[in-house]
Order: sequence, then structure tokens, then C-alpha cells
Amino acid sequence: MDSMMRKKTQVSFVIRDEEEKKHKNGVSSLQLDPVQGRLYSAGRDGIIRVWQTTGSSQDRYIQSMEHHTDWVNDIVLCCGGKNLISASSDTTVKVWNAPKGFCMSTLRTHKDYVRTLAYAKDKEQVASAGLDRAIFLWDVNTLTALTASNNTVTTSSLVGNKESIYSLAMNPPGTILVSGSTEKVLRVWDPRNCSRLMKLKGHADNVKALVVSRDGTQCVSGSSDGTIKLWSLSQQRCVSTIRVHSEAVWALLATENFTHIISGGRDRLVIITELRNPVNFLIVCEETAPILKLCFTADQQAVWVSTSDSDIKCWKLPPMTSLNSETFNQNSFNTNNVYQTQPLHHIPGGKAIKNYTVLNDKRHIITKDSSNNVVLYDVLKACKLDDLGEVDYDEEVKKQFKMVYVPNWFNVDLKTGMLTIHLGQDETDCFSAWVSAKDAGLTTENDQKVNFGALLLQALLEHWNHPNRINEGGQKVFGNNYFSVPVHTPLIFSEVGGRTLYRLQVGDAGGETEGNILMETVPSWVVDVAIEMAAPKLNKLPFYLLPHSSCQSKQDRQKKDRLVANDFIQCRKVAEHVVEKIIGGGDVNGTGVTKTTPEDSVTEAPEEKVELLCCDQVLDPNMDLRTVRHFIWKSNVEFTLHYRIIKQ
Amino acid sequence: MSICQDLGLNFQQRMGANISQLERDIGSEQFPPNEHYFGLVNFGNTCYSNSVLQALYFCRPFREKVLEYKAKNKRTKETLLTCLADLFYSIATQKKKVGSIAPKKFIARLRKEKEEFDNYMQQDAHEFLNFLINHINEIILAERNQSTLKVQKTPGSGDNGTNVTCNGTLPHSTEPTWVHEIFQGTLTSETRCLNCETVSSKDEHFFDLQVDVDQNTSITHCLKCFSDTETLCNDNKFKCDHCSSYQEAQKRMRVKKLPLILALHLKRFKYMEQYNRHIKVSHRVVFPLELRLFNTSDDAVNPDRLYDLVAVVVHCGSGPNRGHYISIKIEASAIEDFYGLTSDLQKSSETGYILFYQSRDASC
Repeated sequence: MDSMMRKKTQVSFVIRDEEEKKHKNGVSSLQLDPVQGRLYSAGRDGIIRVWQTTGSSQDRYIQSMEHHTDWVNDIVLCCGGKNLISASSDTTVKVWNAPKGFCMSTLRTHKDYVRTLAYAKDKEQVASAGLDRAIFLWDVNTLTALTASNNTVTTSSLVGNKESIYSLAMNPPGTILVSGSTEKVLRVWDPRNCSRLMKLKGHADNVKALVVSRDGTQCVSGSSDGTIKLWSLSQQRCVSTIRVHSEAVWALLATENFTHIISGGRDRLVIITELRNPVNFLIVCEETAPILKLCFTADQQAVWVSTSDSDIKCWKLPPMTSLNSETFNQNSFNTNNVYQTQPLHHIPGGKAIKNYTVLNDKRHIITKDSSNNVVLYDVLKACKLDDLGEVDYDEEVKKQFKMVYVPNWFNVDLKTGMLTIHLGQDETDCFSAWVSAKDAGLTTENDQKVNFGALLLQALLEHWNHPNRINEGGQKVFGNNYFSVPVHTPLIFSEVGGRTLYRLQVGDAGGETEGNILMETVPSWVVDVAIEMAAPKLNKLPFYLLPHSSCQSKQDRQKKDRLVANDFIQCRKVAEHVVEKIIGGGDVNGTGVTKTTPEDSVTEAPEEKVELLCCDQVLDPNMDLRTVRHFIWKSNVEFTLHYRIIKQ
Repeated sequence: MSICQDLGLNFQQRMGANISQLERDIGSEQFPPNEHYFGLVNFGNTCYSNSVLQALYFCRPFREKVLEYKAKNKRTKETLLTCLADLFYSIATQKKKVGSIAPKKFIARLRKEKEEFDNYMQQDAHEFLNFLINHINEIILAERNQSTLKVQKTPGSGDNGTNVTCNGTLPHSTEPTWVHEIFQGTLTSETRCLNCETVSSKDEHFFDLQVDVDQNTSITHCLKCFSDTETLCNDNKFKCDHCSSYQEAQKRMRVKKLPLILALHLKRFKYMEQYNRHIKVSHRVVFPLELRLFNTSDDAVNPDRLYDLVAVVVHCGSGPNRGHYISIKIEASAIEDFYGLTSDLQKSSETGYILFYQSRDASC
């Protein structure tokens, strides 16, 4: 990668528990290992989880597969359950060791969200596609043989798609590949020679789900136009249009012999339809959220269903023969008339954070999840502080209001349903917040100023054994002297608004391999502060200081004194300046910059001699200048303070 | 004035000399009774304003409201609206059917009101129209607020006067003015996230619709393009509240409330990056005398409005910084180009710039 071309790098981390056993967001895809009885689920929280489907329903959770940094959109299980391939909105495709759950390699060929995968079982071939309009074909055996030194892989690409691809399908022998896109057409390829076979028109909207029959002669498509279409690929035409759903169709599953299609989508219904006779259909169940994926159980008597909620449920299917009998009331959209009202199995999910408010101290965040649970977080220490339960979110935000102004120094992202914090040097400079260490509760000493962004970066990279770490008394300095962040915290380096460069856990930065990758990845602005302990720049705030109209000053100064100070200094310091330099009769022509060096020689507190006012409001000596400007002056120009001598 | 020779032609003045010729050509008996066709004298590149004023004069609902304003407000402080009212009044009360008039007072006032117009340079007619409509609206709103204040100041309101002010002024300022009633329509922009497929919509008001022009197209086509679906993708993804993330989305603009008078601005002056300047897009755009909008939203208030073309502001010339504006008034089913076209104007450079369509239900 050409470093000159590289976009600005940002540092992000996720505030979460060490082990997140439940999906925190929708579940995009499911795969079953029928031999092991294991169910793999791809979460929009960026985590693939593995569940035991056989045996006790008490604790089905086996493990989490974590390496993606954005939604996992699709997964396929291949090599008889040995490997898993995943596609994500972080633009990568990853190859996993499925039983052990670790990531073997990352493919960065796509340039945008990877939305969908297709698998040709007989050839161990996987195709990936997404919003960059490209389709890549991968030989799974080559992918699993990749090592750190042998890390190049050749791929063939299927070109010709003009718009974003949302669905793919291949038949098991790998002779036919079909793609669905916002172009509203199906494009069909022969993946053996990458040749384009045909383009099928008929849908009126995006095509979001596809299945191809084993022999490659038939295809079923599900579209956002609400219809399901059966296509004859040999005749290159639409055979029938099935209108059983009232809204977009997002998931399809065909029975082994291609006689029935099970479908789901935005209307939250799972419906089974006889392909050759679509009047025979039955609503299997009604879910609580739009359906994203359907997957058979090992015996094909039931389906696992995942939705845009985090729950995964298993529903019993009706016997296929019963569809043509009079047993069930057919042709009915009456949702009271569903086959099953209780799932066979239910893997409960967690709740996604839906709202957040950064508190005025720019350190704490209050969040509300999809079940209205309110939680308080500490961004600086990357941890949860308090679970407030189902309290009134807006009330709580109001309650936590403090009249203090601190500049923004991070951005918040809720895409995974968990709190992701981004630190960068763009519009929001992560070094903009200088605060008093005492106010931040980090020390009891007075007059110590700390920078939130610097402290956090130092803590996040505390375990990185960088050669440039400074020495203090023969000891290398690690961390920030005040606090550490949880070692399980995922730490992510990425291009601003773009692709992930590297993800690791905070505690793993000490490893040799990790250290080497960090050397290549961590931008210099981070190294300067987190490793070489350089102090970030102070923010200067210009202001004018004038005697108050009620104050009969001896000198009767007409000239506006323009001063510059650090934005965090307290009004007390300004009062001190007034006492020493103006009424103290010292240096009268004190123009320009004031050095606010505290002199303890003043026995009497300056605030007892002089009071400061802004917009005719007397200021609390503990209030800092930026807070006065933000809440009282309420403007960024001509910030003016007045002083008044207190009569004794 | 010598400056006006550089840019454009002192068209109306020349026309003044040809009035009798024009009258002879058309035959005054063919002129509708009570209608006046008056040119406006160019005060050095003021054709941008003259052409718009001419066109507005032939937007009957607007003219009537302006004359009504003139009748109601006998002698108030001079504003752009009183100047306009005086101008319209003097055209409407002319004895002759054709002639020319010097909009001296109006131009003088305009130059006082807005710095950008206080010179002898050629201006954009659309910018002027936009300024004029908004400015008149503000004048009406300000006068309304003042009158409500006056009412409240009448004796008897006593101590609860402040209370009345609060209750009294608020609904008045949100109530539409007659400018709103004539020109204002509503657009609705609908964005559909391609992931969750939730549609979110936002309404905004407009005084005119600005459409892009393409080669060999029609107004109907321009309006269709105006409402074409745009896909938000790549680096320009849509932040979906429902998905809490950036997703692809499809966005389109459609008309929700159709105005009484539809002003269509053809975006003929395009900024071209390769030339680092604006160039004029002179493509021929066919405009119908009768227009129906098809890019209306499903919940549109009055989607079936039928419009008749009443006036066109034409830009003559090849570039954005030069050229001339003329105005054409459309009568019945024939374009009555009553100002005539002088032979030294190159026909190909004359392009419709602002079209004024009047709803048929407004004229009765």
C-alpha cells in the first residue's frame, strides 16, 4: 500500500464486556453444521457466534468469533464444517477455523461493504459480492492454505454488474452463479469460465435473495418489490410470480428437491409455498422483526430464523404433503391463521444501543437500548459505570447536566449496537480537551492539567513495547500514571470513514507480531503522544478585559485589553491577574499575553478583592473561561470580561 | 447611457420606436380589451428586471393582488412593493394599448434595497425574481406584524396587553401571505434506506422549481429528471437512523403541493469545472402551452392541476455574463410575441429561461 495515498488514520475502540454472549444487534446470516449440531450466526454487532443446537437448551453458547469491525453480512460454512467464510461491511472477507473460532486470513479485495456470499459445495468454491459491484470467486482450499509468508491469492472476478449487489447464489456443482442487485435484473454467469450467460428482467425493485437448483436449470428470486419469481434458466424466462408477502422479500430457502420455497422478509412472516402450484402456501410463523435469514435444521423438519432483532428462533415446518390437503386454511393472509405460534427453540439476544447523549463533561455517555434500558458509560476509562435500568432517558440526561463546557474530542458510533468511540485529528481533534486532573477525579493535587485524548491513547497502547518509549529513572514509562482500560477492549485502526487497517485487543499489543503490525499502522500523531509522551498543544482563548461600568478605576483605562489564556483556566486566575497587574499598580502597560503563573504570595484569595463579570453576570471563580464563553457569552467573537473591585 | 451598449441591446427603447409598427402588424382590434402591452425602458442593463416585471404583470393573480395592495395602501412609506404597485397601476391605467413606460422609481428603489443590484451590470433574472418574491413577502409580513401591534396598542387592552401580543402575533406570522398563496408549493424528498427499506420524508417549500436542461428535451422530461431517483452510495452513503449506520439509499424529490403559479427556472448557467467558469447551456427545450405535473407525491394535495403558460422570460446571448433578457407574453393558444423580434438577434441564442405557468383553476 502506498503510504502517500493512505487516508488519515483514526483510532477507535469498543466499550463492552469481555465476553458478549448474546447478539447485540440483528443477525444477518445463519449456517448449520449438521454433523456437530452447531449453529453459526453472523451478527450486525460484528461478531459471529457459535451455538449448540442439540442437548440442553439452557446454555447453547459455545464461543464468539471476533475480528470484524462492522456488520457481518453473510457467512458460509465449508470444507465439511472445518472452515467458515464471512463477509462484512468492514469491506473484508475473512477465513476462519470454524471449530476453534479463530481468524486465519483476511481478504481485502473489495472496496465497499461485502453484502453476500455464495457457495459451491462440490467444488469448495465461494463467491463474494457487495456494494462495489464486483463479484470475486475464491478457491476455499487455497484460502485455507494461506500463511503469513504465503499470503497472495489469485481470484477471478465476474464483471458486468452496473449496480450494488445485494444477493448471490451458486448451485453445488458450481456451474451457475446468479447475482441480484439494485439494477432489478438477475445476471447469470458460468463461474467455470467466468462468462456471462444471461440477464433476466422482471423485478421492479432490488433483488435481495436468490437460490439456484442443484442442476442449475431453475432459480428463485426474492425482491424488495414484494414478489418471489421462479425462473427457468434453460428457457431464460420467468415461469411464475409468487405474491404471498405483503412487503419486501429478504430471505429464501428451497427444499432439497426444489419443490417448495420458504420465504421471509419485511412483513415478518415465514411462508412456505409449493413452487409448481403457488396457490398452496402456508404461513409458518410470524416473527417479531423483519426476517433476514432462514436455515434448515439437520432433519429439515424445522427452520432457524434470524431477524433484524437479536433473537434466533427455530420453527417447526408443516409436512410438505399437507400443503395440498385441506388441513390448513390456504390462500389466506390472515395472520391469526399461522401454523406455529410458539418456536421450538429460542436463542435470546441482547439489546442494541439505540440512542446516546454525550454529557457536558465530554467524558460520560448515557445510552438507551432497544428495550429502553439506560446505562451510564465512562469513555475515558472505556467502561460501563452504571446500569440505571428502565428509567426515563431524557430525565436522566437532564439530571446529569452540569454547567461546564469541554470541547468535543471524540465521535460516537452505534452501528454495531455497542458503543464505538472514534479518536481522530479531523473536525473533532481528540487532543482538544484539557481539564483539571482534580476535577476529573484523577488526583487530589491542584493545578494539574490533563488531556483526555492523550490519557486515553496512552492507556489504549499501554501494553505496546515500543522502542521509543521514554525512560524515567531507568524505567520505561508505560501508560498514563492514572488509570488503565480493560485489556479485552477491542482497539481498531482504520482510515477515516473507511477501511479497517488493524484490529486487536488492548492487552495483546505486547505480542511481537502485534507490535510489528502496530509499528506499521499506528500514525505518528498517536506515537508522539502515547509513546513519546509529548504534550498536546494547548488551546488558547483570546478575550478582552475591561473595568466594569460601576467600577471607578483610578487609571480609568479606555483601551480594551486583549488577553490570551489557556481555555481551561479558571476565573480565579483572571482575578489574580487583575489584582496583580491592574489594581496592584504593577506593570500597567500589560499588553498582550498574560502568563498566568500562580503566585502564592497573594495571601488573600484574589476573588475576595475582585469579582469578574460577563454579560453583567457575576462569575463563579471556579468556572473556567471556555465554560463562561459557551454558557454566558454564547458567542465565539469578542469574548469580553469585566472586573469589579469588591469594597471592603 | 453608454454602458448599456456593451451588453445586450437597449431593446425596449428601440421597441418603443416600433410600437406603432407593432400595432399595425398585429392589428389593435385583435388585442383583448382592457389589456395593455407596455414595454419598460431599459436603464442600462436593467432588462433582467424589466423582463421579470413584464412576466409578473401577466401573471394575473399576482397583478390583481399588487393592484389591490395599491388600492388599499394609499400613502405609506416607499417600499419596493409600493413602487411595483405604482408601476403596475400606471401600466393598467394607460389610455393607449401599447407603449412604453420608464420604471424609474422602481429601479431606483431596487438599487437602494439590494447592494448587488446597485450598479449597471447585467444581473441574473432568476436571482432577481427570487429576490423580488421573497422581498415582497417580507414586506407584507412586516406590515402585518405592525398592524397587529397597532391594534393591540388601542386603549382598553390594559395590563394584559403583553399577553395579547404573544397570542396575537404568532399565528399571524405563520399564516400564508398572498405571495405564498400564489407562488408557494411544497416539495417532499423521500429517502429509502436500501438495507431496512424504511422511507423517511421531509417537506420543503419553494417559490420556483429549478430544473436541469438536457439536449433535445421537453419540460416534461426536465421535470421527470428533477424527480429521478438518486442513489446515495460509495462515500456518500445515507446515515440511517433505523440501522444506526451508513447504508445505501435512494432519494427522490416530488411535488406535494402544486402552486397557483408555477415558476420554472431552467438552469441554463452551469458551472463547468474544466473552464473554471459558468457557461450557458443553450439546448433547445420544448415547453408546452398546457402542462400537467406527473412528478407528484402519492399524498399530493392537488396533483391534477392543469397549467397554462402565461409568460416566458427569454435569455438572448451566448454566455452568462452577456446577453439580454426579453419577456414574452402568451395569449390564448398562440405565442404572441408582442415585442417582436429584431432581426439582429440571433434566433438560436434565444432560450426560454423562466417559464410562468398559471393554474387553470386560478383564472376563473
